[in-house]
Order: sequence, then C-alpha cells, then structure tokens
Amino acid sequence: MTRPRAFIAIAAASSLLSLLAIPPAGTTDLPDRWWGPGEGRSWPNALDYSNDSGTSRVLLTGSALATRGHPFFEPLGASGRACVTCHQPADGMSLSATTARERWKATQGKDPLFAAVDGSNCPNLPQTDAASHSLLLERGLIRVALPWPPRGADGKPMDPEFTIEVVRDPTGCNGSPVYGLYSPDPRISVYRRPRPVANTKYTTHENFGVLPFIGKNGLPATRDPDTGRPSVMNLMADARFPTLRTQAVDAAATHLQMQTPLTRAQQDAIFDFESRVYVAQAVDRRAGSLTEADGPSGLGPQALQKGEAGVLGNNTTRWVIPMENKWKTLPRGADEAVNARNAARESIQRGHDVYMFRTFWIRDSMHLNSVGLGNPTKRTCATCHGMHLTGMDTANGWMDIGTTNLPWASEVPLNPWNTARPELPLFKVTCKERVPPHPFLGRVIYTQDPGRALISGRCNDVGTIVIQQLRGLSARAPYFSNGSASTLRAVVDYYDRRYNIGYSEQEKEDLTNFLGAL
Amino acid sequence: MSRGALAFGLLLPALAVAATPDPALRNFVACPIVRDTASVPCWLAEYQGELYFLTLQADVSAPVNPPWLGHRVLVEGKRSDKPRICGGIVLEPVHLSVVAEPDASCNTMLPAEDRYNLTFDPPRPPGPSGGRLAFNTLPMPSAPADVKREPKSFTMTYDFNGMVNFKTPFQLAPVLELAKAMSASRIEITGHRSAALLSDGTVLQERPDLAQRRAEQIAELLRGAGLTVPAYEVRWVQEAPPPDGVGDYRHRQVEIVVLP
Repeated sequence: MTRPRAFIAIAAASSLLSLLAIPPAGTTDLPDRWWGPGEGRSWPNALDYSNDSGTSRVLLTGSALATRGHPFFEPLGASGRACVTCHQPADGMSLSATTARERWKATQGKDPLFAAVDGSNCPNLPQTDAASHSLLLERGLIRVALPWPPRGADGKPMDPEFTIEVVRDPTGCNGSPVYGLYSPDPRISVYRRPRPVANTKYTTHENFGVLPFIGKNGLPATRDPDTGRPSVMNLMADARFPTLRTQAVDAAATHLQMQTPLTRAQQDAIFDFESRVYVAQAVDRRAGSLTEADGPSGLGPQALQKGEAGVLGNNTTRWVIPMENKWKTLPRGADEAVNARNAARESIQRGHDVYMFRTFWIRDSMHLNSVGLGNPTKRTCATCHGMHLTGMDTANGWMDIGTTNLPWASEVPLNPWNTARPELPLFKVTCKERVPPHPFLGRVIYTQDPGRALISGRCNDVGTIVIQQLRGLSARAPYFSNGSASTLRAVVDYYDRRYNIGYSEQEKEDLTNFLGAL
Repeated sequence: MSRGALAFGLLLPALAVAATPDPALRNFVACPIVRDTASVPCWLAEYQGELYFLTLQADVSAPVNPPWLGHRVLVEGKRSDKPRICGGIVLEPVHLSVVAEPDASCNTMLPAEDRYNLTFDPPRPPGPSGGRLAFNTLPMPSAPADVKREPKSFTMTYDFNGMVNFKTPFQLAPVLELAKAMSASRIEITGHRSAALLSDGTVLQERPDLAQRRAEQIAELLRGAGLTVPAYEVRWVQEAPPPDGVGDYRHRQVEIVVLP
C-alpha cells in the first residue's frame, strides 16, 4: 500500500499538535522528503518526517548545515549518488524499501540510487528492468561485493578456515564470469541494508567493552589508523572498517564510484556531520508525543543527543531505554482520545518490560552462547541489545541469531502451489579439517550471507552480523541485514520462532509498539 | 565416554600415578544438564549414577562459565560437603572445558521444580542485573603511570584443548599495555599443554601441537595489536607433565615475560 505520505505528515502533525500541544520541532522540508545529491538545501537543526508509526525526528547539533558543496551531499563519483542518497533523513538516515520504490516510480528507474554497480542485483542485468533491482525495491538491499579469499590486515589474501560454494543465486552475480566467485577478481556478492548514519557516538564509542582484543574471540581488534586506539567494531554489518572516516573512504570509492580518494578535508566534513546527527521516533501515531518533558527520559532523539555513549544498560540502574515507569498506569477519563493515547502509552511501557524482563532460552547463537553465558542461557532481549539508549552490543557486536544461516533464515517454501521463488543467494560453507567445526552448526553450513566470516575468514563467524541500533526503526523498514522482516511485528515473530519464546499476542503487540516508539 | 573422549583428546591407558588420588576428586567427561529454576538455571552433570552441581548461569566474568548443550564437557572438580544445589553434589573447585566436537545427545533440559529453588541469591538474576552492573567494568586499560623497567611475568590460562577465547582480552590487554608503556625490547613466550587424569584412571592428552600453537598465537595476537617493535622469543614445552588429577588444568597455559 502506498502511503500518501505528505498528507499523512501534515494531517497527523496538525491533529497531534492540536491534541497534545506539541510545539513544532523546527523547520521541515515537508512535503519534499527526498534529499537528492547536490540540491544545496539547508539542513536545519530539526527535521520531522512521517512514517507508518508516527513521526521520526532528526536532530542536528550545532548550527544548521549548508549542504551546498558538502561531501555528504554532493555527487562525488561516477554513480551520481551522494552519501545522502542511501542515508535519507525521512528514513532515519537509512533507506527504506518504500522510498526505493517511490524513487523508481518517480524517475522510471533513472535515479542514481539504482546505479548498476550495487543498486541492481548485478551490473550485468538489463538496468531498465525493475526486476534487475528487485532486492533493492523489495527489501531495500544494496549489493556488497567482497573479495574472496578475504584480505588480512596487511591487505594480502588470507587462508580462510572454510571453503565456500555457490548453491543458488537468483541474481546471477555470484556465478558471473565477470563479477562472481570464479571470475578473475573473485568476489562474493551479498545483499545488505544500509545502516543509519546517526547516533554515531554510540556506534563508535571507546567506553565499556572496547579493548585491544575482541571480546568475542580474543583476536586483535581493528584500530583507528589516526590514533592507534582499538575500535568498538560496531560499524557496518561485518565491522570491516574501524572508523567513520575509513568507512566513508570505502563508501566513496565503491558506492559513489569516486575515482580519487576522499581528501582529508572531505573526510573531516563527513565525520563532523555524522557526529552531529541524532535520530529517534518523536511522535507515535497512537501514543502521541514521545518527547514530553515529563515523559520517559529515554525516548526521543534528544535523549540520544544528551546520553552517555558506550554504557551497559542491561541493569536496573542505567536501563537500556530509561522509562522510569512513567507510563505504567495512566488515568482514564471522559476524553476518549486521551484514553486511547494513554492505552497506547501503557502498551509501550509493557513492551519495554517485555524487552527488559521477559526471559526466554537463547540457544545455539554464536558469540552469545559461546562467550561464557552457557548454551542455552535464560535471558532477555536486553542481554544482547544492552547498550544504554541504542540497544546495541556495547562490545564488538557480531552474533549469529540465524537471520542468514539455515535452518533459521527465512526461506521461500518451495512447493507446486507457491509461485514465489528465492531471491537471495545461498552459499555452502565447509569448515576445513584443521579447525574445529562450528560449535552449533557443524562443519557444513548453508547461509544466505556469511557475514563477518567474509572479513575474518573464520568458521565460527559464518552468518554473524553486527547488532543494529534500535533507534528510528519506524522510519526504515525492512529489518535485519538481509531485509527479511518487512515489519517490526515480523521481527518479533522471527524471534518468537527462532527461540521458541511463546510470546502471547499481547506481548507481541506491546513489544512491537515499544520498538516502534524508539 | 570413549567416543567423546577420542574426539576430544588422545585417550591413553592410565599411567602410573605416584600417590593415591584424592577420593573426593571427580574428573570425568559427560553431557551437561541444565535445570531451570524460578531464578537462574543450574548446570549439572551425572557421573557413575550421581548428580553433580557444576555452576549457575552467570556472566562473562564469572570464575566458572556454564557448559553447552550439544557438547560434552570435561569436568575436573572436587566433591565438597556443601549442601546440594539443584539436587546436585557441589563440586568445588571445579574446572569445565567444553568438548569442541558437537554431540547432539547432550540435550537434557530439566524443568523447574519447587524443591530445587535456590536458597540463596544468585550473582545476578536471569534478566538484567538488579541494580548492580552485570559484571566488572573493564574499560580500555590505560598505560600504567609508573612503569618499573624490570621483567614482568604474565600467565594466560586455557580450557582443555582450548586456544584463545572470550576471556583472553582481559588477560592479554595488560600485557600489551605494559609492553607499550615500558617500550619493551623483548617478549618471551612459552607455551604449555596438559594431560588430564580422569577419576576412572583414563588419561586425556591435549593435542600434541597445542603448546606450540598457543605460544605462536599469543605472539601473533600481540603483533596484530600493534606490538611490533619487541623481539619475540617463542618456545614451547612439547611434553605435558604427568597428570595427577588435582592440578592438571594449571598446565594449560602460556607464560609471557615482558622485558625492558
């Protein structure tokens, strides 16, 4: 269903503002949601955009930004894209599949977003055909072509602990003689969601859990080339770059197709901007304002702006998302609108309590059950999603919860009555005899995306993905690194299935509402 | 036991043991069992018809970390006189090593029963820690203020047949920081491996090349973490000391000496 987004935004905003007396959040550019490369618009201190759950807000600390000439906003390379192309403020500084479809429709597929290099399933496909961009249009996925074998810290090919074969590839890219695994420049194409460029002080912190050696396995952590200090390794799905600057350099070369490296001044400008942007949901369409002065202190983008980064929140002192039980029990009266709002707020509070306190057995998840907690471990959402205010891992955060590895990854049921066919590649990974088998998956693993293992070359890393921050979720569906959950409810359902949690319908609804309010 | 033990390590006939083993020792390989409670789960294992308590679900920094279903576990413990926990005789001290090879038969989860409720507060509840931090805060260590320019020794410890793991950062980071602060000229690394004497007289040997692999890996990790200036002297003791069933776990180690 296509949302009449501008009208929703205006109508919802005006009704909520009148009902809840919410002050305007600042200058907005509604209805022009799309920020194209090189437009030269001014980026204000606050931007509000509607989404299915309400309104998300992007805060920019410091002064407003003139984007003209700024390297985050200018098309610096042959693809015609800018960083902002895939990091849209209306999409929580990520890119939703809905937006991708809208751009396809608005430009007949000519937007630089659909650049052949990675905005299509494979560059060798007919680029004017929407089917060639199906993974971007349906799941919001960008092609990431990684070298095989992986490169070590010295840039030389490493001897990985496993072999890899292509079992299935509907995109054709991994079998391509030009772009594939058996090409002169062997590469493995995986398809991943763009991560939000916001709240970056949390994704790059140097606080709790950041050590010279990786907390999951004891191997050396990547280091900031400028300072020599270890990085938290929570950037990107596979932590392949240690800092915002190194990530920007790579993104400019690959996604933007920039012919020369980003200059230091360009890197600094991008770093400065990315360090000033905070995103969170600000208004819930049923619960109203999430940023009232006497409301829960952990909601809204200002909480992130003011918060301390890299703090463990999996405790009842700091909390992951502080709510102070403010919405535990709210009054009912004659005003049905207020009653409905209060009921929605209580649901968010209950969802928070499910997140923090509803235990379930977490089993066979690499880098969680293998790091001293036992297998299984009776814990809660907040065990892994424990970082104060973001729900990320405070330490190096890649983990296998099964979103890309079989048997847990979502696969199309094949039968004569179903016309749908798999969209993602499937790889067979075989751990070599010189290493122990994967402790929970054995020596042969089938995966849609080997994740961190394509960087580390380690068998135990197959299918591990860096935990994503949980803020601004409502603005950037679909979810999981492979876009396999189309809604937040689908995320909750996945966990319920994966860990046999047995959530009640009420718990599912409350948890979904809580996530949507972040 | 033999299938798991053969996959786990080299199984040797009992060697001559100098003294009569302590009858309270309980060294064995078995499937772990997890028992739910109203609070945190208990970890147990059965040996010769008796149930033993191994540990509680805890945190990364716990002195004893729980084993894994889907894998057997080497238990090296001593029967204590403490009251049973979760129905199991308490082993204390106890050292646990997860067997790397999967074993699908290790899949016993017991439901909670009122009679097995914990009679004490566990180190932390099953959800978020109750006001206390989940485990010790260990921010990135800073360089020591006053570094004495004298050799300093460190010991890395391992599970049976284990290499570095999640506990390594906390053991190895101080080595790195001291070596950098001292501008170390040389680092001596000596790898060891062990044998384990089980209560039934069986001896398990760690993999023959493990002492070398452990030592070389530590050197590789320190270099990889940026400590490239010092000269590395990497050696290993190929032979495991004769096992006594008491302190065999102590021989699973790497000694590191940092020299100015």
